[in-house]
Order: sequence, then C-alpha cells, then structure tokens
Amino acid sequence: MNAPAKQYQLLFVDDDGDFLAMIRDFFASLGENIWQIHCATSVDQALELLKVRQIDLVVSDVNMPMLDGIQFLHILNRSHPDLKKAVVTSNATEEKRSACLAEGAELFIEKPRSPEGLRSIFIMLEELITWTPREGFQGVLRRVGLQDVIQMECLGRNSSILEIHNQQLRGRVYIEDGRIIHAQADDLAGENAFYQLLSLPSGEFQLHPFELPAKRSIDGQWEFLLMEAARVRDETMAAQASATGPVPPLETKPAFESSTTAFHLAARVEETLICSGQGEPLYAWQCPDTSARVALLQNMAQQAASFGQLIPLGNFDRLEIQLTGSRVVAQARADRLVFVRVSTGGEKSATQFR
Amino acid sequence: MNDTLQEWLATGAIASGLLGCGMRLPDATCLSHSFNEICPRERLDQVLHQLAETTTFLTSHGLAPRRLSWTFEQGQIYLFPRPDGALLVLATQPNTEAAENVDELAEEFFSLNAAN
Repeated sequence: MNAPAKQYQLLFVDDDGDFLAMIRDFFASLGENIWQIHCATSVDQALELLKVRQIDLVVSDVNMPMLDGIQFLHILNRSHPDLKKAVVTSNATEEKRSACLAEGAELFIEKPRSPEGLRSIFIMLEELITWTPREGFQGVLRRVGLQDVIQMECLGRNSSILEIHNQQLRGRVYIEDGRIIHAQADDLAGENAFYQLLSLPSGEFQLHPFELPAKRSIDGQWEFLLMEAARVRDETMAAQASATGPVPPLETKPAFESSTTAFHLAARVEETLICSGQGEPLYAWQCPDTSARVALLQNMAQQAASFGQLIPLGNFDRLEIQLTGSRVVAQARADRLVFVRVSTGGEKSATQFR
Repeated sequence: MNDTLQEWLATGAIASGLLGCGMRLPDATCLSHSFNEICPRERLDQVLHQLAETTTFLTSHGLAPRRLSWTFEQGQIYLFPRPDGALLVLATQPNTEAAENVDELAEEFFSLNAAN
C-alpha cells in the first residue's frame, strides 16, 4: 500500500479513557508519523476540538452519557457534512448499526478484544481515511419514495446506481444519462427485477457513482417503467389485501435523513401524463382531464420558448409547480411532453403562508 | 411607484447570482431591477406579465401555484404569487447564493406590507 503523503488528523470520541489511551498508544505506533491522534471523552470536548482542528476522520463510540454517538453523528452531519465518520462500539447491535449508517457513518465496527482486532480496525480506518470520494454529492434523505429518487435522476439526466435493500431483497438499478438501463435483484434481472424492487414496502437505498453494468437488460422509457412498477405494486397490494385483509398503503421510506430544510414525507406519484411532442397522449395515469393537461403542457412549452427569447438562459429543462400538498414537474422536449404530479404530504416550505 | 418596494428590489433582494428581480403589483404595475445585462428591466416586466397570465391559467386548471420555477440550462426563473395578487419574479444563475436563497427572498417579499 502506498504511504499517503499528508498527515491525517483522527479524532477518537469515547467516554472510556482507558480505551482511548490504548488506541492512542497502539495506533500512534502503527500509524507512525502519518496519523495524528486526538481524543475526547465527550461529545462536547469533541465539538470543541473540531472547532480548532482540521480533522479528517472522527471515530466515535455509541454509548456515551449526555449525548450518545448517534446524536453526535447527527450533529456532525449538519456541522461538518464532509467529515468522514466511523463508529467503534462494544454494543454492536443491528439496530445501532442501521442507525449509525443512516446518520452517515461509513464504518460500524465492534470494539476489538485483542491486538489483532485493533490491527484490523487500524487497516479499515486507514482505508477509509485515504479513500477519496469520487465526483458527485453525498447526502441523506428521509422517507423519500423510490419513484421520486428515480424520477429525480432521470429528469436530471444523471448517471448513477441506486442500491436498494431490505431484509428480504437487495438489488440495484442502473441509470445512465437519465435512462434506466439495467436492474438486478437477487437472481432476477431486467424489468422484473425493477418491478420487484419498486414493490418493496420499505427499506433503504443509496445512490452510488455510475459504473457500467455487466449487461443492459432494460430498454424502455423510464416513465413507462415507473408506471408499470406502480401497477405491479398496486396489484401486489391488492393481492395482499385479499389474502390478509386491509393493509396500510405501501410507501418506500428509506431510513435516511434529509440534510436539507425542506424534505418530503411519504411522497407518492399521483398523476402522470406522457404525450408526443405534438401533444398526442401516449400514456395517462390518474389524469383527471387529459386534454386540459395537454393544453397546460403546450402552454408551458410556448411560455418557456418566450422566456428563452427574453432572457437568454439556454435550453429549457423543466417547470416545477409547487402546490399546497403536491408538486408538479413538467417537461417539454421536442419528442415528448411529460406531466408528473407528486403528493408531498407534510412538506414544508419557507413560503408557506402562516 | 412605491419607494419601499423599489428599495427592497434594488438592495434587499441582492444576492450573488441574481440576474434580476421584479414585482407585479395587484394593479398590474411592474417594478423591476436588473443586476445583469442579459436580464434588462423591460424584459423582466414582460416576463412578469406573462407569468401573471400563467398563474391565472394554472389556477383555472386547479393548480394554484405557491411557487413556479422554470429551469433552463443556465439559470432559473422563479415566481412567487402573493395572496393579494402581487407577484415576485427572480431570475438566477444555477448553483449560486441567489438560487439557494430564493425561499428566503420570497419570505421577505411576503412580509412586505401588502398595501405597499
């Protein structure tokens, strides 16, 4: 392994002073002059240190008095969003692991009981601290529908891999330049895998930088795929209801928290219309008045062209209409017009009238 | 023309990346301020009038907007309608302070005296 050129600043936070002393001695010798180790026995101390030191990696315990490690991670997400974070705890339950990872910890490790264990942790932390994130944004979201995430990626013509998992299923959706090109879920691949993943009632997701999949198994337009996924999901729900009685509405609520002040609670697609560039409806789902919506889309396209002439801002991408309790995204392209309305549940806005 | 509104447009609303801003009052008069030559006042006024029609059009289709954002490759046009019929339009460059703070600017707009 190549030795990193810079000296890394690590902050260990643990209310167990003996453990900190052991870490300082052991890691200082393993890290030679490359690791500079700082210790704090409370979150308060750690936050004070973070004000005066340029820390590269925080390694925190979970069970601490006053503020615990999960709350600490939560604070760090807001105050130091770019900081790398790891958790080392003697109480490594699945619940705590999920909570810490959801709060942005990159590593969740059980406290070592031997020098070999300490050495393993050293290697893992060294990997983490020298890892350079690739271009792009990293963030956390709370209770966002998978459909919204996919729409966001497709409308933005992004390339990414959406990894989705819960206790029953794990899979990936590959999005390239705003097109869904592949999905796999356990042994399934293609559209069936996509529908299976979109039917999950709850779970977690992560967006990863795009990498080419081993194969391309999906060729359809993302709007149709999402609509078909909604249909499959509705059918699944209906089948469950007939088998077991009424079930609550399905929502995908990944256990991630938003780092933004405006977030969506239980967002779901409520209406979709896709037309040809000439305004011929190709697909309408829960659209109360298709011709009125077509008129609206055509009006929007004309307005966008007019604005583009008045203020030169380049090509038009989309119109977003914030309504009370819902949001509309409308697009006008040469080959298609798209209207999607999504309920936003408890979404708050700075401009909401009081 | 009201001095308070004009002053707010010229100074209070200023933020890095703001190309221009304007208000259309309930009596259809416009107050605009340009911060960039690509967004002159008279064109902002035209945008405001068109957006007023758009707002009416959307409302008639059951889509009374609390906010509109038109996203282009190199900028956004935001519209915030006030209950009294006044409109605020902001033209911003993407990924700038202005683009990130449109809601705060709108909040100030809403807090300005509706009688102004």
